[in-house]
Amino acid sequence: MHDTVWFEIQGIPSVTVASEEFAVAADTQAKALGLKDARCVFVAHPIQDASDEQMKEKAQAVIDQVVTALTVN
Amino acid sequence: MSEVEALLPAFSLENNLGQDQNFPNEQPTLLCFIKEDCDTCKTAMPVLEALHQSNVNIVLVGQTTAGNQKLIKEFGLSVPILDDSQLKVSFAYDIEIVPTLIWADTDGRQVEIQEGFVKKDWQALLERFEAKPDIAWNQLPDWRPGCGSLSVDPVINDRLRAEAENSPLRARKIEIASADDEFEFMFDQGFSDGLPLVPPTPERVIRMLSGTSRDPQSVVATVPPNMGEATVEKLAINAVMAGCKPEYFPVVIAALEAACTDEFNIHGVMATTMGASPVMVINGPIRERIGMNMKLSALGQGNRANATMGRAVRLAIRNIGGAKPGGTERPTLGNPMKFTMCFAEWEERSPWDPLHVERGFNEKDSVVTLFCMTSGPTLIVDQGSLNAPQLASSMAMSLESNHHPKAYMGSDTLLVVCPEHVDTMMRDGHYSKQQLRDRIMESTRKPLRDLVQDENSGVGIPADKFAAMPEEMKNRQLTKFASGENIHIVVAGSDAGKFSGAFHGWLTGPGGSIVVSRKIEEM
Amino acid sequence: MTTILDPTNEQVPVERQLSPRLGEITGRLAMLDISKPRGNVLLDKFETMLAEALPNVTINRYSKPTFTKPAPDELRAEIKANNDFLIEALAD
Repeated sequence: MHDTVWFEIQGIPSVTVASEEFAVAADTQAKALGLKDARCVFVAHPIQDASDEQMKEKAQAVIDQVVTALTVN
Repeated sequence: MSEVEALLPAFSLENNLGQDQNFPNEQPTLLCFIKEDCDTCKTAMPVLEALHQSNVNIVLVGQTTAGNQKLIKEFGLSVPILDDSQLKVSFAYDIEIVPTLIWADTDGRQVEIQEGFVKKDWQALLERFEAKPDIAWNQLPDWRPGCGSLSVDPVINDRLRAEAENSPLRARKIEIASADDEFEFMFDQGFSDGLPLVPPTPERVIRMLSGTSRDPQSVVATVPPNMGEATVEKLAINAVMAGCKPEYFPVVIAALEAACTDEFNIHGVMATTMGASPVMVINGPIRERIGMNMKLSALGQGNRANATMGRAVRLAIRNIGGAKPGGTERPTLGNPMKFTMCFAEWEERSPWDPLHVERGFNEKDSVVTLFCMTSGPTLIVDQGSLNAPQLASSMAMSLESNHHPKAYMGSDTLLVVCPEHVDTMMRDGHYSKQQLRDRIMESTRKPLRDLVQDENSGVGIPADKFAAMPEEMKNRQLTKFASGENIHIVVAGSDAGKFSGAFHGWLTGPGGSIVVSRKIEEM
Repeated sequence: MTTILDPTNEQVPVERQLSPRLGEITGRLAMLDISKPRGNVLLDKFETMLAEALPNVTINRYSKPTFTKPAPDELRAEIKANNDFLIEALAD
């Protein structure tokens, strides 16, 4: 989140992809960093014990949201 | 006959038990403001506890959280203490002394007030209650003065005034996130001239406003190019950022007023590709009062008043007016005076009337004079002239190069004569400013034919125009400056060194910038 | 939290602003792996899908030395100089 906020301030549209467990923390951190609208897309938990196939499914599930986060105000 | 007292401010605060307590609360109330590090408050604690135990409706307002806890422990209190560590209630009640004891009626109107601890007065007040608490009055001192309330501590009081509902501040509040760096934030927002800024917190702005008696919302000037309204408050914010002290603020106000006149034409000054900028010259008693430098290194760095007042004006023009390099500000090279340029005249070292007196002000007035410079101070290095006429004509030779030796009649100059040059001029008796001006004019005199464009320089009068002129015009004598009034003379610098300085002006007259002076309103 | 007062004539918003979004991804897209396990698999899949959907976009892959700290200044500078968009993954 620190990184994406920094890149936003530099004029580069940015998105953080995180697990849904991280949603509350991401919101708090975005506010603390002064950019409450920082874009975040959440993928379904769990991550660490997901198979490659499950990870690819998670990617497919959110790719449209990722593109939207970078293209729509 | 007694007037009906106004209602005391209502409030709700949390006590040490985590409960909210309100005032008023449908019964007569004894309010007492206390703080832990005050011995008089400690003297009174057993009395206050005894009152609580005999069911007097007492509301204790303590000024620090940790102090409240200490009092409860030290005195084994059963009476709760309300946490006013934000000091908003103490501030709203205008409490100056602790303890302050206020008896209020059911509606919350003040019946009686006591400050400090005066035994007989407290006894008299408490006798009016039905409850008869068991108080060992004979063990108490007759009298103890109170202590200062935390809410009147100068630093805290500035914050409280800034946050109060009737705060004089109206500017938009910007909250910088806790993980953000306020210095980086201000750079990123474009508030800065490239150097770090002092964060303009409400407390600091309130302090800056104490430097003037003007209403914070009154408008000092309308600042181009965006025609932003420079209220006293907005100017104070910029003065804080620049690093000014409150006592400098009247100078900044007068300078911005002068800058935004039609005559001075700050819009043109900022916008020109020539890279112009205001020079502020300060005269009068305020120089000493705020510790300005007019001696060694007067035009240089190292003095806070000189450095920050000039910067405050520039920041105000940038932030309130919106003049920024690359926007409406288009200087080819720019110059470092665009950061700041402000100095004082060493009037006491000058044999002449100081600048402000020449310009029609009283000697005891404090005055700021704005001169529009494009270059300089260029040094006039003359260590050999032995008398006034020689030095004056020598200076004239140097001044001929203002802008370009063939550029005549178009600009002003601000001549800063150093003390040793003053002494040389006075060696054979008093040499007046008028004589100096006349000598400069005379020494720069040239026939028009010498100022025509030629193969060595394209600066000057176009050759075809010259060819079409009648013979007598070709021989007309021109001077570097349109008149002696275009030569502005002040004295500054150290006693050692024969080096005067000259600021070159921009275009003079209504199409350019005219020197403007404004009286500084001292408190 | 520091509160400061606005020194300007208040015609421009002063909160940190998102960069404007222009409706499509064009130019160069950075994918920054924060270096937590499994994140690379997700980013690989993103890259495959985006390369197919956006053939004219150049995709540059980066990874942080550690997910525990913000990216080092050098890496930030390199990404900024060479990219127009950024996807960072995968925080969990």
